[in-house]
Amino acid sequence: MGRFTDEELQRKVQEGFIVESEEDMTETYKRALITQLTVQGDTELISAPAYFMAARDAPSTNTMVSATAIIQDELGHANIAYRLLEDLGVDRHWLLYEREPAHFKHPYGFDQPLMNWAELVSANALYDRAGITLLGDVHRNTSYGPLKRGLVKVSMEENFHLRHGEVWIRRFAEAGGAAKEAVQRTLDWMFPMGVEWFGMPDDRKHHNAQLDFRLKGMTNDQLRRTWLKAVVPLCEELGYDLPAQYDADTDEVELTYELPCQYDPEARRWLFNETITWKQVFERWKARGPMNEQYVDSLRRSRFAVERLLAA
Amino acid sequence: MSGNGQVYEVFARKKRADRFEHVGAVSAPNEQLARVYAWQTYDEAKWFEMTVAPRDAFAAVNRPQAPFTLGDPGGRAPADSR
Repeated sequence: MGRFTDEELQRKVQEGFIVESEEDMTETYKRALITQLTVQGDTELISAPAYFMAARDAPSTNTMVSATAIIQDELGHANIAYRLLEDLGVDRHWLLYEREPAHFKHPYGFDQPLMNWAELVSANALYDRAGITLLGDVHRNTSYGPLKRGLVKVSMEENFHLRHGEVWIRRFAEAGGAAKEAVQRTLDWMFPMGVEWFGMPDDRKHHNAQLDFRLKGMTNDQLRRTWLKAVVPLCEELGYDLPAQYDADTDEVELTYELPCQYDPEARRWLFNETITWKQVFERWKARGPMNEQYVDSLRRSRFAVERLLAA
Repeated sequence: MSGNGQVYEVFARKKRADRFEHVGAVSAPNEQLARVYAWQTYDEAKWFEMTVAPRDAFAAVNRPQAPFTLGDPGGRAPADSR
């Protein structure tokens, strides 16, 4: 490592230079890349137990097969991110089996229980849309060659998950009645979770190594806006109520509640009238949500059990 | 427990006339499992042909170091910095 300074590398990647080996990197670049890949891998990994929890409510064998195909895709995506991390000197066994569950870096939204089929397909529509928004931007803009190649498969498959979600929430909407209400109840807690997915607003961040080193192309607020402009018009068309409004004339989305906002995970309810600071939101993220330990444990339990058997 | 074995590079092509494309890599304790992991992980296309080879089997031709050599697999992250 070390043939460039941070400033030199930042200028080069903004001009289109692609990093392919460790000697192209600086220590700051490598640290930012490791963080980005850890968030990416953890998000894909933890989506698996979250989706599996809900998939047990699949309405038929066929739909169960679709859901488990999605789960298998997500595990494959996690594997790709962790594999890239291994090449950067991070131990995959440590990542998967030794870290404290609270130290995983996936968004708070994936620390929540997904209880039934309506919640699974809503998550496909909202969270996989968030995934495509974030990873699509990385795919187009990243200066790290191995990641750009690794995301070819990921982007392809995330689009399938998104379609699965959108087709199903449309189906629930067209069915009306209790079906539509089930999705509406889900969106009530899940939509603001998706808004938070993109992190702190831009004016809270002093500088951003991921942008400076072109590990991504868009800022948190730009990504959030892209997501809102996809999710809100679709939900309005389907007749779901969201605390947001799409203006077709300006092609903009306005939230109808104030950010930041507090969440009560036991009641699964947003306290829209309670004013809090981003620092408090950050504390909530750091403390992790109700399913954090259970999800991580479910990925470890059977492996450890088999290891004990083999050692006996 | 022993680590992840070694790294295998994965190459595939969609039809007969195509060139092989480097589609990614897997870590596996042996070649048998490397083949399974590669087929399961990189299933984004209906490949006509896929092959794996250990990373250390590659020799650099025009660059100072062999391709795919980054870091020290099996190392550990400096810190779990959040």
